Order: sequence, then C-alpha cells, then structure tokens
Amino acid sequence: MSLETFYRRNRAFFKLGILSNLEYRFNFAIDALIQPIIGAGVEVLLWSSIFAGLGVAQIGGFTQAQYLAYFVWAAFISRIAISWMYEFKMIEEIESGSVNGLLVRPLSFYEYYLAQFFGYKIVTTAISLIVPLTVSYYFKLPVAYEKLPIILVLMFYYLILIHTLSFLVMTLSFHLNKISGFTVAKNITLWLLSGELVPIDLIPQPYQSWILSLPFANGVYIPVGYLTGRISSEVFYQGFMSITVSLLALAIMSIYMWRWGLRTYSGTGA
Amino acid sequence: MIPAIKIENLSKSFKSYSKQEGAINSIKAFWNRKYIEKPALRTTNLEIQQGQIVGLVGSNGAGKTTLLKLLSGLIFPTTGHAAVLGFTPWNRESNYLKKMSILLGQKNQLWWDISPKDSFALLTEIYDLDRTIVSKKIIELSEVLNCTHVLETQLRRLSLGERMKMEIIGALLHQPEIIFLDEPTIGLDIIAQTSIRNFLIEYVKKYSPTIILTSHYMNDIAALADRLLLISHGQIVYDGSVIDFTKKAQKKQKVSFGLNIKPEKDIEIKTHFQSLKINKTHEQFEIDIQPSELSLILSVLAPFEIQNLKIEESDFEDVIRDFLSKESRVF
Repeated sequence: MSLETFYRRNRAFFKLGILSNLEYRFNFAIDALIQPIIGAGVEVLLWSSIFAGLGVAQIGGFTQAQYLAYFVWAAFISRIAISWMYEFKMIEEIESGSVNGLLVRPLSFYEYYLAQFFGYKIVTTAISLIVPLTVSYYFKLPVAYEKLPIILVLMFYYLILIHTLSFLVMTLSFHLNKISGFTVAKNITLWLLSGELVPIDLIPQPYQSWILSLPFANGVYIPVGYLTGRISSEVFYQGFMSITVSLLALAIMSIYMWRWGLRTYSGTGA
Repeated sequence: MIPAIKIENLSKSFKSYSKQEGAINSIKAFWNRKYIEKPALRTTNLEIQQGQIVGLVGSNGAGKTTLLKLLSGLIFPTTGHAAVLGFTPWNRESNYLKKMSILLGQKNQLWWDISPKDSFALLTEIYDLDRTIVSKKIIELSEVLNCTHVLETQLRRLSLGERMKMEIIGALLHQPEIIFLDEPTIGLDIIAQTSIRNFLIEYVKKYSPTIILTSHYMNDIAALADRLLLISHGQIVYDGSVIDFTKKAQKKQKVSFGLNIKPEKDIEIKTHFQSLKINKTHEQFEIDIQPSELSLILSVLAPFEIQNLKIEESDFEDVIRDFLSKESRVF
C-alpha cells in the first residue's frame, strides 16, 4: 500500500468522523459548546463558593485563581482526553455483528476508528476551546497561553494511547457478550489517574509517584499543570516519552488480542 | 482451469451454553455453565468454477450463511481449508478483499448516518478506486436500479427497497470478481424483488462474476443460478443444475375436481403424497399426485362424472419446499 493510498483512506475516515457528527446538529452543538459552558460555570461557582465560605486566600498552597485555572482547563482537556463514546461504538459493532460490514472491506478497524475519532475531536476541540479561553481572560487566570499549541500536540498524541486502550478493551467483546462494565471501571480509574478528580500534586506520597509513573497523568494533570504553572517543562516533555513506551506495549497487546478475537468471532447474526 | 473456489474438508462448529429457565438456574449458571458445541457446517468439499452462479438453498439454520461467512473471511473454520481466487479468505488479505464482495441482506453495510453518495465516496477511498470511473458507475447502476433520486438522502431515511438498492451499488462499486449474496431480496415487495432480480441478471451478463446466492425466494434462484447447492443440517445434500434437480425430485401435480354424482359410500384415494376421502359433504376436492397416478384416479372417479377438472404442475418453489420438508433425504 502506498503512502498516498494510506493518506487518502485515513482522510476519508477523518471526514466521516466529522460528517456523521454534523448530521445531528443539535446534539453536536450541545456536545461541543453547551456542555463545556455548563462545566466551566460549575467550576466557577464551586471554587468561588469554597473560597468565600472558608474565607481563606489559599488552600494547600494554591490560590482561588490557581484552582479555578486548573479545574476550568482540566474540564476542557479531560473532555479531549476521553474515548469512551468511540469505545462503546466499537464494542457495539462487535456485539451486534455490524463489524461484518467492515471486516469484509480492505481497511484496518483500528485505523478506521482512530481517524474518525480524530476528526470528531479536532472539530469539537476547536469549538469548545472558546470556553476556557473566555473564562481565563475574564477572570484573569494564571494561564501560559504560549504553551497551548504544544499542549494540544501532547493531547492528541495521548489520544492515540487512549484509543489503543479502548481498542484493547473492545477486543474482549469477541470473547464476552457484554463488557460495558470494563469500560465503566476503566473510566473511573482513568478519572483518578489522569488528575481530573483531584490534582495529582495534592495526593500524598508514595501514591503520587506511582500515579505519575503511569502515562495517564498526561491526560489531564501534566498538560493542565504545565499550562497553569504547576509543573516544569522537563516533567511535561517526559510525557511524550511515557506515552510512546506505553503505546508500544499496548499496540503489541492489541495486535495479539485482535487476532485472537477474530479467530473466535462467530460473525454474530446474519 | 483453476476453480474460483476450492473447499477441502471445511467445517465449522459454534459453542454456546444452555441454561434452564428461572433465577435460581441463572445463579447456578453463573458458576457452572454447560457448553454445547453445535456443528453449523459439516465436513464439506466443493469446487466452483469462475463465472458460475451458484444458488445455495436450505432452511433456516442449515448452514448457508456460515458457508458464506467462511468464504468471505468473516469467521475462521473449525477444520479444513478453502481457497477463493487463490487466497485463504480468513487471512483477510487486502488483495482478496478488493476482489470480493458480500452482501448480507439482513445487515446494513453502508453508513447509516450519511447519504449513499457520501458512503460511495468513502468506499472509493477504501478500495483505492478512480473517482471519475466510480462516479460514472454510480450513475450507471443507479439509473438501471431506478434510484438516482435517493443518492443524496441519509441512508436511515430510505425505504427497505431503496436501501437494498444502495447496498447493491455499494457492493458492486469495485467490480468484484466474486460476489456472495445472502438474501438480497429479503423483506422486499414483489416490485422491488423483480427489479433487483432483473438488475442482477443484466449485471451477470455484462461483467460475468462468480456468484454464490442464497435466497428464500426460489424465483431468485431459478432466474439467476446455473448450479444449485442444497444444504441441510450443515451438509450439502444436492449439487447439480436447477433443471436436473426438478427432474430428479419427485414431480408433483395438483389435481382439483368436482363430481356431478355424489358417491353413496365414502371413497378413499391413496396417492404417493397423501390420501383423500371423497364423500357426499364436499363439492370440490384437491389432491397431490405423481403424473403416473393420474389415469388410475380418473378411472376410479369416472363413474361419478368428473367436472371442473384442473391439473397444475408443481413449480420449482413447490419442489424445493417439498424437499426441505423432508430434509433427511440425500440425492
């Protein structure tokens, strides 16, 4: 297969990700804009109430503006760094047998979903970025805007890792009829490990070091911490390395599990 | 000549588990499940030449779709080997998938959320086709199928017949050398069925692909297939031409008649297929017979003055139905 064929094919899947989401305008508008606005509104109200209620200038060594900056950007970035909706789609394809329509075509199931996932993420990210930018500008939050491009690069690199993890979870559905429990358990774990629930620098040792040794902090804590001045550039750039190593390990496991899954697949239904 | 499809000792079994009804049994089955291995396709050997149109007929669960899924590479076999156009299907090599197409009548293969035109543009990239040639082909196929007007409508908004026509165009866009059609006319009204059948006849004439076709509508098989495979309980029980099958299968005639004179006593007529009691209470009678039995029946009934005599030949569909109702037979 030539590079041009690979490019053309993936560009088509990428466009499919955009097209199929734009078909449902109302849902798309809520997903890309209304939800981020509600999320940011909740963070503003929450942290204003906490600091006003306690009547303190700092909590755990961080100011209200720092907390607000962390959680507003964490809400935005964590929305980029999730893949459960495409994970459910992939699982549904196997459970219902609609994957048959893809397996008989000269395409890679992994590639097909990754490119669609990127199409969807790029469009929603571009639109929803307006929300944290507006909040940060209005409340004069401590945000290093010049770091935003490299942070987005890390985020989209992290998305490949997260998609590969979803792909790996999905391969279990070749063997088990229902696996939505795995997806939910995985999402809750990632919620904690990524630093979306609580900034990782507030977690006591040795748990903090354990969590930071995993690649999932690149999902929220590392990019948001770098953007809001909580972590150094050295720690940030190590994120690329930890994603690469984890990606290789997950890719090997995924290839094995996919092949094993196909051997046991029963072709479900007609 | 190398056959398009060569199957040697191919078989497929599926594992499932059985559970008795009730909550207690569900709890028991949580720890201890009884698994059953069910053969869907028994050891099969088969050769299909290039350009042949093969009708694959059998009742539900006979193994038709399993065979198609194996040959299209969707599932792995339990035993045996198959070579389709020289490829092992379940290796799913791109070069094989580009030469093959499968249409599963009960599953959508185009994209539900977008228009057929967008789906075809996507297929153009997936199969690495020339966009200009594909555009011409879409126009050509949609004109023949009389569905140009729905090309830009979201797939989910189309009727079943329109959707099936779109699926057919999608399946033929890359001009496959081998096509597996699994129930292409299922659930369609008579007009859509005829339209698709006529389209396939013309397509076969023009492009000469190798086709395996399954259908519950025997008219599809009779119109298209030049070879018939009957499959029963995972085993091919007949392999030959449609004409030979009809000749070989017991020929049946349906005789209906009335009688001017009512018999005093009940008369019982026994034929190869059934027995019929002639009595005073009925006006009109109907019985299935073998052609050789006709003269005997007429001689028995002659004293009662036969009227409104009608003799109908069984068509292909009747013969198949009769055959499938006695599936244990092996020709």
